[in-house]
Amino acid sequence: MSLPDRIDPRPPRRIYRWDLDKTYLQTDFDSLKDLLRTAFQKAHEKVAVPGASALIRELSENGDSRLCIVSGSPKQMRAVLEEKLKLDGVRWDEFVLKDNVGNLLRGRFRALRGQVGYKLPAILESRVHAPVEAEEVLFGDDAEADAFIYSLYADLIAGRVDERVLSQVLEAGGVYPDDAERVRAAWKQIAVADPVRRIFIHLDKLTPPAHFTPYGPRVVPIFNYFQAALVLLADGHLSAPQVLKIAVEMVQTAGHNIITLSNSFQDLLRRGLPLQQAAIALSQALEGPNKLLAAMRPMPDILSAFSKRLAALGTPPPPPPVQAVDYVSLIHHALPRNHKGRTKPSP
Amino acid sequence: MEAMVGKQPQPVTIAFDVMGTDHGPAEVVRGAAQLSLDSPHIHALLVGDRTLIDNALAETKHNGERISVQHAADFVGMDEKPGEALARKPNASVSVAARLVAEGEAQALVSAGNTGAGVLACARHFQLIPGVRRAALATVYPTRSVRGAKEDPFSLILDVGATVEANAEDLVTFAVMGSAYARIISRNERPKVALLSNGVEPQKGPPRVVEAHARLSEMGAINFIGNVEGIDIPKGTADVIVTDGFVGNVCLKMLEGVHETVVELAQYAYKESLRWRAGLAMLSSGIQRIKDITDWNQYGGAPILGFDRIFIKAHGRSKARAIANAGKVAAKVVANNLGQAIREGLQK
Repeated sequence: MSLPDRIDPRPPRRIYRWDLDKTYLQTDFDSLKDLLRTAFQKAHEKVAVPGASALIRELSENGDSRLCIVSGSPKQMRAVLEEKLKLDGVRWDEFVLKDNVGNLLRGRFRALRGQVGYKLPAILESRVHAPVEAEEVLFGDDAEADAFIYSLYADLIAGRVDERVLSQVLEAGGVYPDDAERVRAAWKQIAVADPVRRIFIHLDKLTPPAHFTPYGPRVVPIFNYFQAALVLLADGHLSAPQVLKIAVEMVQTAGHNIITLSNSFQDLLRRGLPLQQAAIALSQALEGPNKLLAAMRPMPDILSAFSKRLAALGTPPPPPPVQAVDYVSLIHHALPRNHKGRTKPSP
Repeated sequence: MEAMVGKQPQPVTIAFDVMGTDHGPAEVVRGAAQLSLDSPHIHALLVGDRTLIDNALAETKHNGERISVQHAADFVGMDEKPGEALARKPNASVSVAARLVAEGEAQALVSAGNTGAGVLACARHFQLIPGVRRAALATVYPTRSVRGAKEDPFSLILDVGATVEANAEDLVTFAVMGSAYARIISRNERPKVALLSNGVEPQKGPPRVVEAHARLSEMGAINFIGNVEGIDIPKGTADVIVTDGFVGNVCLKMLEGVHETVVELAQYAYKESLRWRAGLAMLSSGIQRIKDITDWNQYGGAPILGFDRIFIKAHGRSKARAIANAGKVAAKVVANNLGQAIREGLQK
């Protein structure tokens, strides 16, 4: 772990945990060629997922939060990744990268591709130092095992997963004994609490949303960060003007428009997320003359489109049921992407 | 060529009537989902039972930024009488979809449901283009020859059922509309247009066909090649064949019957003799190639022409690929402003 980009003496009220590749950065590593290109990219050549940096900046604006990044990128990329984050105006508190060279030298080949044995101990160890009341929102993607690992993390610290299930998961996930021991050691140090509010999964590979249904409503698959911003508005993490700023950045820099934003809004409604109040808050934020409005020329049209999308559905759907996650039956989700035991998502 | 804004095609929203097809709503949803992955500029507005649509969508790889849903409580079944069904079900999916297109929420409608209900819903919600007295239902069929920059193996025939009794003026209008459509879809600058008759001579056929022949011969804007006979339809002598809805529908059903009979004969031959079976096996790659070239799934659907809005009628048996292609056809027609092309054609 490197020195943090900022040192805030206040205990955080909220912790935002982010993955980098395919969550924050648009990264291709599906082929060796992609992998090499990614490895040699300069900071200014790396491209963030539209809206991601704006969302992080707005979340940190509230001043009482902490940004913790755990990435599967190798430690050798630290300098270029940190430079990229700084270029985007992103300030972090923790930044953990994977020791792939160390794994290679020690012959720990499973650890090169494995996710559970790397991310789970890293985020548990980070939680050890967090105030017990600090709530968390986690951001990952659908390329690897983020939904599984983040959900397991949330249920471990909430006391909903027992030692037996954890052992089964760690064994099936091919976690090396020393990493498994780190998981157990950190877990034991954490006071039981239920701090994880949301787990956002960026659908980089456009995995069908139903793939994540077994994780319950806490996991929200998102097609873009405007969707995350809407949910965070409903959850009280962002204000309506902050959401509008994120939307404007996506419109101005990533080609989003009235249709894509209103479709994104309706997509969440159809999945049972209660966003009606969030839509009202957005409308109110646009009432009356102010400077923000001048920069948000398409916004009134977007809100009108929101209303139409809302009306199109008739009766609002019920929220999805809260359910216990059966980690043992979902263990294939935790295996590396190319592992033969991993179930492929539906076409 | 598609209308472009800079280098990006202009966004277009296509309303899909999801209900009432032979393969059920999920197949239409899968087609729209595929479209959301293939064509970033096309947005799908899925009209139908929201629960069915959401369930199908949740299980299908798609881009949620490019899809929205409009709930419609009812639908018209394939075996229902269109007029009665639409009267009983004002919120039938095809009617709601047509209304949304009329209101500008989408720029075109695609339906694989009951054809009559589709035509009637359009007639109720859309306006006829000035100068068009009757709409025409077109269809495509595979031919021996190819046409246009796309080397399209399909010809267009219209009308195949919307206007049972067409007069000479209607036939001329159909020719203008069919020509404009073929020019856009097949990228064929000068599509060959012909009237279907019982002989190639100008005086052959009923009075309305003779009169239409005379009027089309004087229209320089249309590449009118005269009359063709039934035998010319599968040959592909013309790119656009014009007839009234009664004759066109008889032709269409006959073409379908011939196709089914050929398939049945091949199956009979396959069962009857080992030598014939071996022969068919040797021809299989060629047969498959012909099948691929003439597969109507790749064409997607055919238009109802004459309204100020676009309606693409997909085959009732359409699967996801055909639905996605029907959406692409609709988007292409919108992007190339078919209505304007027809208006200009009628003024010449």
